[in-house]
Amino acid sequence: MTATEPRPGVQASATSGPRTLNLIQAITEAMREELARDERVVVFGQDVGARGGVFLATAGLQAEFGERRVFDTPLSEASIVGAAVGMAVRGLRPIAEIQFADYMGPGFDQIVSQAAKIRYRSGGQFTAPLVIRTPSGGGVRGGHHHSQSPESYFTHTPGLKVVMPSTPYDAKGLLRAAVRGGDPVIYFEPKRLYRAAKGEVPDGDYTVEIGKGTVRREGSDLTVIGYGGVMPDVEKAADALATEGVRAEVIDLRSLMPWDRDLVLRSVEKTGRAVLVSEAPRTSNFMGEVAYVIQEQMFDQLLAPVMQVAGFDTPYPYVQDRVYLPGANRIAAACVRALQY
Amino acid sequence: MIQPFTSDPLRWVAEDGQPIGELPARFTPEVLRHLHGEMVRAREFDRKLVTLLRQGRTTFYAQSRGMEATQVGLARSIRVGHDWVWPYYRDHALGLAMGVPLLDLISQCLGTNSDPSRGRQMPHHFGAARQNFVSVSSSIASQVPPAAGNALAQKYLGVDEITVCTFGDGATSEGDWHAGVNLAATAQAPCLFVCENNQWAISTPLRAQTASASIHVKAHAYGIPGYLVDGNDIVAVMEVMSHVAAEVRAGQGPALVECLTYRVGSHSNADADAEKNYRTREEVDAWVARDPITRVERLLEHLGDPITAEERSGLIAATHREVDEAVRQAEATGQPDWRIMFEDVYADTPVHLREQAAFLRAEQTGAGQTGGRA
Ligand SMILES: Cc1ncc(C[n+]2csc(CCOP(=O)(O)OP(=O)(O)O)c2C)c(N)n1
Repeated sequence: MTATEPRPGVQASATSGPRTLNLIQAITEAMREELARDERVVVFGQDVGARGGVFLATAGLQAEFGERRVFDTPLSEASIVGAAVGMAVRGLRPIAEIQFADYMGPGFDQIVSQAAKIRYRSGGQFTAPLVIRTPSGGGVRGGHHHSQSPESYFTHTPGLKVVMPSTPYDAKGLLRAAVRGGDPVIYFEPKRLYRAAKGEVPDGDYTVEIGKGTVRREGSDLTVIGYGGVMPDVEKAADALATEGVRAEVIDLRSLMPWDRDLVLRSVEKTGRAVLVSEAPRTSNFMGEVAYVIQEQMFDQLLAPVMQVAGFDTPYPYVQDRVYLPGANRIAAACVRALQY
Repeated sequence: MIQPFTSDPLRWVAEDGQPIGELPARFTPEVLRHLHGEMVRAREFDRKLVTLLRQGRTTFYAQSRGMEATQVGLARSIRVGHDWVWPYYRDHALGLAMGVPLLDLISQCLGTNSDPSRGRQMPHHFGAARQNFVSVSSSIASQVPPAAGNALAQKYLGVDEITVCTFGDGATSEGDWHAGVNLAATAQAPCLFVCENNQWAISTPLRAQTASASIHVKAHAYGIPGYLVDGNDIVAVMEVMSHVAAEVRAGQGPALVECLTYRVGSHSNADADAEKNYRTREEVDAWVARDPITRVERLLEHLGDPITAEERSGLIAATHREVDEAVRQAEATGQPDWRIMFEDVYADTPVHLREQAAFLRAEQTGAGQTGGRA
């Protein structure tokens, strides 16, 4: 493939200044630039080569970098993750793709027993800096085996870093940071935003620090905190509240492990109210940890209980896909409850 | 005598429809016509579902065009309602030939109220209790250890049943596959493992999936017999399956049958571009020339009892009518509402789910906030 040929799913990178990309284009671009920057970077998984991944995140990369750097594996998540651990220990910088987050199951033992613990169990003699990229979340009518949000299994596992971008800028910056960091990073990609989330991405090198959240909009009446696929709905809810004169501060966590306590606490200190939004099932949801920290640190300053908007504690249903997801209305209603408390 | 671990696929009918040696007596023209009819029905179902997909009336479908002889042939060795089946998502020809009602299957694909699985699964992931056809899980190879367990239970209970577990070639790379086959083998559980080797796992060809010369040789490593059969020759599939199923039934432990066949269509609607991206037209054409339905038609010609053009188009038209009618009936039942979300999560609904259901009822009926948490 020559440089002048358009590549599927990817915008030409020769233009100057910020360009508008969608989420998946930003992810592809991050991988391409990391592959070009560092010989040690390798990209692999099921169907990532000639096919370019089921969502085309790796489209064109094998053609550009060859089969040594970008390759297909047999259908085995345990092998994919386990191999990534071995490669990382031996000095490569693997970016492994799990086709759907729902299929991390067969690789779970390798993620939690090997990737997460090798630094600790060896006293830092061996480390496994690797990235596992995987599309997660619902909204694409995939039923329960193609829509789950398993992030809490991994935030519960010491040794792993867990991130989930919602904008192309963050997607690119976080992926670069993940590839260059010293730890195993689970990089969740909210698949319903792959093409829906568009935004400016600057030319040139930048990273987004893992562990830092960001304020998407400033406000003083309450703080709404989310990450990943729910962010557009959080913004919509904030818009709706704004028409009623309510100014919501919107925080996108971006990183779940570690997460930006300071940013959250500073905001809730200002507003006195927090609404936590995610689409994963409610019970043992990662946001429960955020709620716990807010109440522990700020009990006196809270004007209302911390509200949580989450997925239901049911397997993800196929026909009721949209009802399952916490849309803007449900988020706004929780905000109103917090405000009226 | 059918021997395990051959390197050439066992075959009874050559690609041009000539019997190789003597055709087993049970394959009378009448029987062959019946089998042909079932294969045509499965194929036309396939075609109609692809149309429904294009029309946006369903959202996912995994074709099995080219694999009809494997699935219909396998169905004939299963004692429906006694034996148990742990299938995978491409097995609608197997299901249909086992008597899963077309209405149930279509309803599942459309997620209507008439869907026995109540609209919860993605399309083409059906199950049918009456046929002991266990609901399909998308997660590749996750059915293999449970199938071994099902067979263990059958042995434990001393019942005259076997378990049949199907999967694609790609599935044999998963750890679950090895764990399940190994367990069944050590326990000598009555499990018939059937690999529908259609040569591709999405874009990964068999040679990139395994370094084994074939799948059936893997059985050797687990201490069970493995057979390789031409999966496009329904006579061969039935002969081998009935031989092997009889051995499994007789308590000789599990066995693996690899049916060498081909996925003619794309993997699913997600890769309609298969030919452009990872396969060659020549390869597909070569397999189309080995079509299992055509092979039976040629065999019947050879036996002097050809299927006429009218018979064939009559069969096709009948299936189309049958599917259209099922779609009509299914769609008339409407889509399940939000309530289905909270039922069947547990045997009895715990309080937190009742609260969440109450919350959603209020939200859906506009009855305002109930204080429920979601
Ligand atoms: C554990 C798991 N990983 C990945 C996938 C995504 N996936 C769906 S079908 C498929 C290929 C399966 O190939 P094979 O087992 O040969 O069956 P075929 O589709 O070819 O009939 C893959 C990788 C999945 N469903 N489950």
